[in-house]
Amino acid sequence: MRKNRLTFVVFVMLIMTDIGESIAELLLKKGLLHTGILAVSLDNLLEFVARNASSCLIWCGVAVYMVNFLIWIAALSRVDLSIALPVASTSYLFVPILSVIFLNEQVSLVRWAGVALIIAGIHFLSRSTRS
Amino acid sequence: MLKPLLLILVAELWGVTGQILFKKSVNSLEPPRLRCAASYLNFVRCILRTRKIWLGLCFVAVGTVVWLTALAQTELSLAFPIKSVQYVLILIAARLFLHERIDAMKLAGTLFVIAGIVLITVS
Repeated sequence: MRKNRLTFVVFVMLIMTDIGESIAELLLKKGLLHTGILAVSLDNLLEFVARNASSCLIWCGVAVYMVNFLIWIAALSRVDLSIALPVASTSYLFVPILSVIFLNEQVSLVRWAGVALIIAGIHFLSRSTRS
Repeated sequence: MLKPLLLILVAELWGVTGQILFKKSVNSLEPPRLRCAASYLNFVRCILRTRKIWLGLCFVAVGTVVWLTALAQTELSLAFPIKSVQYVLILIAARLFLHERIDAMKLAGTLFVIAGIVLITVS
C-alpha cells in the first residue's frame, strides 16, 4: 500500500523529529562539555562512560532521542519513507545553526557547502525509492 | 581530524549493524494491520521475544557510546554532518545482507553524501 499523502499533521511530526534530534545532539554536546573529558582514549574510557552516565544533560539528550524515535515511527506509518526522508534531512541544517547560536561554533562556507551536498544526496537517495 | 572521523565511522558501523538486525527481525514477522490495536500489541510482543532485536539494541547502545567519544573531541557542527555516512553504510549493507537493489539514483545520492563529508572534513 502506498502512503504518499504528506498531510500537515505528518509534516509537523517530521519537523518535530528534526528539531528534536537537533536539540538532543545539542544536549549531548553540552553534557560532554560539562563533564569536561574532551580527549578520550582507552586509558580514560571507563571514567568517560561513568562520568557521562551520571550527567543529567546526557540522559536528557538520550530521552529526547527516544521520544523522537516514537514520533518518527508514528510518522512513518502514515507516509512513505521516500517522502519522510527529505523532510527529515533538515536536521543537517538545524544542527549547524544551533551550534552557531548555542555553542559559539564557527561554521565556514565550505562546511555549509558540505551540508548542502549531503542534503542533496539524501534527496537523490529518497527519490529512487519512489519509483 | 582523522581520529574523530574514524570514531564516527566506527560508531555508525555499530549503529547500522543494529539497524540491519532490526530490519531482518521485522522482515520475518507479519506486519501489524492498520487500525487494529490487537495486531500492534501482538507485533510488539513478537518484537520483544526476538533475540535479534535485543542484539540490535546492544549494537545501537555501543554505537552511541562511541559517538559520544567522538563528539567529545570535535565541534558539533563538524561531527554531526559526518554522521550522514550512515546512508552510505546502509546502502552497502542493504545490498550485501538484505539483497536490496541499488539503482543509478541511489548511487548518485551516495556520491553526493560522500562529497559533502569530504568537504566538511577538509574544512
